[in-house]
Amino acid sequence: MNEERTPALEVQSVVKNFRRGRGLKKKITRAVDGATLTLPRGELFGLLGPNGAGKTTLVRCIATLLIPDAGTIKVLGHDAFKDSLYCRQRIGLLTSGERTLYWKLSARDNLNFFAALYGLTGKAREKRIDYLIELLGLKDVERERLERYSSGMKQKVSLARAILHNPDLILLDEPSLGLDPQFARFIRQFIKEELNQKQGKTILLTTHYMDEADELCQRIAFINKGKIVNVKTPEQYKRDIPHTEVLEIRLQGQPEVAPIQTLPGVERIASEFKDGVTTLKVVAPRAEAVLSEAIEHLRKGGRILGIDIKQPTLEDVFLYETGTSLGADTSEQKPEVQ
Amino acid sequence: MSFAATAYVIRAEMVKTIRIYFSYPVIIVFWAVFPVLWVFPFLFQGKALVGSGSSAAFEQLTGSGNYMAFILIGAMVSNFVFSGLWGVGNSLREETYWGTMEYIIASPTHPLVILIGKTLAEASITTCIVVMQATVISFLPFGIEFTVAKVLPVLLLVGLLMLGFYGFAIAFAGFTLLIKEVHGWVHTLEWAFFLFSPIRYPVQVNVITAFVSKLIPLTWALVAIRGIILLNQRDVGIWKISGILLGMDAVLLVGGYLTFVALERKTRRDGTVGMH
Amino acid sequence: MTNDGPGQSAIDTRHSSLPWRLRHYANAVWAENIKEWKLELTYPLDFVRSLIDPVVYLLPYVLYGVALVGGRFSPNLHKLVGTTDIVSFITIGYVFIGFLNMALWAMGFSLRKEQMYGTLEAVFAAPVPRWIFTMGMSMHSILHQFLMIVVQLVFILAVFSLKVNPLGLLPALAMIGLMLIALYGIGMIMASATLLFKQGWLISEALGSLLMVVTPIAYPLAVLPVFMQKAALMVPTTYGIMTARHFLIGEQMGFSVGTAFLRVAVLCVVWVVFGLAVFAVIDRYTRRSGTLSHY
Repeated sequence: MNEERTPALEVQSVVKNFRRGRGLKKKITRAVDGATLTLPRGELFGLLGPNGAGKTTLVRCIATLLIPDAGTIKVLGHDAFKDSLYCRQRIGLLTSGERTLYWKLSARDNLNFFAALYGLTGKAREKRIDYLIELLGLKDVERERLERYSSGMKQKVSLARAILHNPDLILLDEPSLGLDPQFARFIRQFIKEELNQKQGKTILLTTHYMDEADELCQRIAFINKGKIVNVKTPEQYKRDIPHTEVLEIRLQGQPEVAPIQTLPGVERIASEFKDGVTTLKVVAPRAEAVLSEAIEHLRKGGRILGIDIKQPTLEDVFLYETGTSLGADTSEQKPEVQ
Repeated sequence: MSFAATAYVIRAEMVKTIRIYFSYPVIIVFWAVFPVLWVFPFLFQGKALVGSGSSAAFEQLTGSGNYMAFILIGAMVSNFVFSGLWGVGNSLREETYWGTMEYIIASPTHPLVILIGKTLAEASITTCIVVMQATVISFLPFGIEFTVAKVLPVLLLVGLLMLGFYGFAIAFAGFTLLIKEVHGWVHTLEWAFFLFSPIRYPVQVNVITAFVSKLIPLTWALVAIRGIILLNQRDVGIWKISGILLGMDAVLLVGGYLTFVALERKTRRDGTVGMH
Repeated sequence: MTNDGPGQSAIDTRHSSLPWRLRHYANAVWAENIKEWKLELTYPLDFVRSLIDPVVYLLPYVLYGVALVGGRFSPNLHKLVGTTDIVSFITIGYVFIGFLNMALWAMGFSLRKEQMYGTLEAVFAAPVPRWIFTMGMSMHSILHQFLMIVVQLVFILAVFSLKVNPLGLLPALAMIGLMLIALYGIGMIMASATLLFKQGWLISEALGSLLMVVTPIAYPLAVLPVFMQKAALMVPTTYGIMTARHFLIGEQMGFSVGTAFLRVAVLCVVWVVFGLAVFAVIDRYTRRSGTLSHY
């Protein structure tokens, strides 16, 4: 096998179902539905989708923490299920969630422990940890307990753990979730410049932040309700829906917006209700053409707070392709399997 | 807060605690059955060391050679008492784990009101369980009989005992807010009670345990309860013992309240209320 | 060509030779043990309490025995097993039951603890067979248990003056070593059960309660009904207790020392194989059902 040509990751028709409920009321929902993607070495690949789309489930399957119900996953040509030790040696994992480290231990103690699990010993381990602590700006706090760290600092330690053993494939599940803008910016820069451009790592990054995917990823897969809808570069996505504008209308309260879909010229709509305000996005070839009719209808339901006509962003492209907003929570919308 | 509002909160907390308890039916079955199992090693130990169901040495210390009845009465009373300790400490711990503790502390209800609701819920459930156990035990051939004339004074003693014990449990609840991981401490406290009060053995057998036991309300209550049930004594000095228990209750309730308030304030000052 | 920090060639962890793997796994076990000690010592008060607990736990049983007999020596015990000193008899029993409790609780809840910390997935994502982690946690539990035993024995020696045959110490330790292997298998089963059942403590408590009755801790096997005796002989600690008492205070066992060692050796194989099998099945099940990270 020519190692250099072997893709870093091959996911073929992966299906993952979960059982929910108790006793006779158990139902099976499909969290990942036939996912297929291939990552060549050195690519920074994004998996973009709303909450509950199946991103984390797919990542956990790749990391061998979940066994898929169908399909295959290969890491550097090796089956992740049959050859899981080989694959785990080559995968670095960063999962979402605050509690994934030992809070009662320091950053150094945490990294020392995980280094041993990944086979790093002696001076090589010390040097590697020293290097990562310096690189991630943790020198001043390395011996303090993690329970005293901010979320951003904990995430840095998680990132250090993910790359401790110099993995070939790095899985980053929502790496900037819940972080303040400063830390989020640092994490993104680190991923793009240090890990991908300088070190040539293959990275699979999941996110529901459009701008993060747009900024970092060479290719992006849209995932919605367990299905990978499309895989393109960010520029291809934006180019592939030309002649489309997005009409964004902000309304007070939660008026009925569904009838807007039936207006002539409207291709897609999506709405998001947050903090007492509904943001309605209408995708149409010419937003001006639908504007007056839309306003006429919406005025009956509530107060209009603002109107904007924009060129589509990646978020709008997602909406166009899937009919779902990136800000939606789709965890209850997964298809039931009979 | 008005009395009616406070009473409503206590009722709401009781209902919530009981509902959560019954969402784990296996646990209820466990607590109803297994505490009875825990006395069997004492039966076998007695058989091995003495060779029969009665011990002359035991009779010299306690007035009755029936060591199994001694153990069973100690087990029932201690189950009742310790459920309060477990229940309060454990349920506060769970509030911290679920993340609801901060919301409780932030509400206009005094946390002690919540604790009263929890202890009443625990008491209700435990009473049912202990009554079941007592019924089973009365059918076993260990010479334990429950009559109305015996049960009424026993209930009085148990009531007075629980009052003081809840004072202790409230202080312990304060430590739960501070220490967080109290599981081990509850066990240690339980075993300390097993050592220094006559639950599992007559404490008079050792000078140190005999002395320390006098400071524990459980000792006074157990001696009187065994006198009534086992020795069929009409006059156990119930009013004297009730007076002693009341005095101890007053100290434990006041001390418990003050300890809880001080520790709750400390956790709010230190900012560790919601920490798990 | 990549540039990812110093020691690049030295941190190539993609080895697959057997000696490297064995070293790697041994390091992982040791690292798990050290991590558990570090976490435990962040609660120093709890640590001290855990050392005092075994003494507080043991004393009521000893004093109960003394109260029953009116002193330290029991003629009836002598009739049954040829030894009269109830303090030594009971102390040795409770020292060993500490090992059983260790398997049921400390080892049994090791993986559940990782779930509570939120680190189980990160640990399971590492390139180490997953049952290796339970070995590391077992190492911590065993060392902790030995520490508790030392405290227990020092106290009993000081207060009651334990009368044992010093020549019996080595063979007793040999039996402990063998027994611990079998208990590791039981610990694996409990660790798996607690991963599967969120109320796994019920299983530990139920099993522990049953084993406390049938195990000849404070009484000889002979006083138990026959069916309980048979159940007791499936548990490695039964042989541990009886042979230790045989070597140290001359308890008559009803079977030879050789038989005891042979039976424990068989139990080692049975429990370890069974434990690993149960663990493998439940590990797969939790990875299929997606409940690995659920606390």
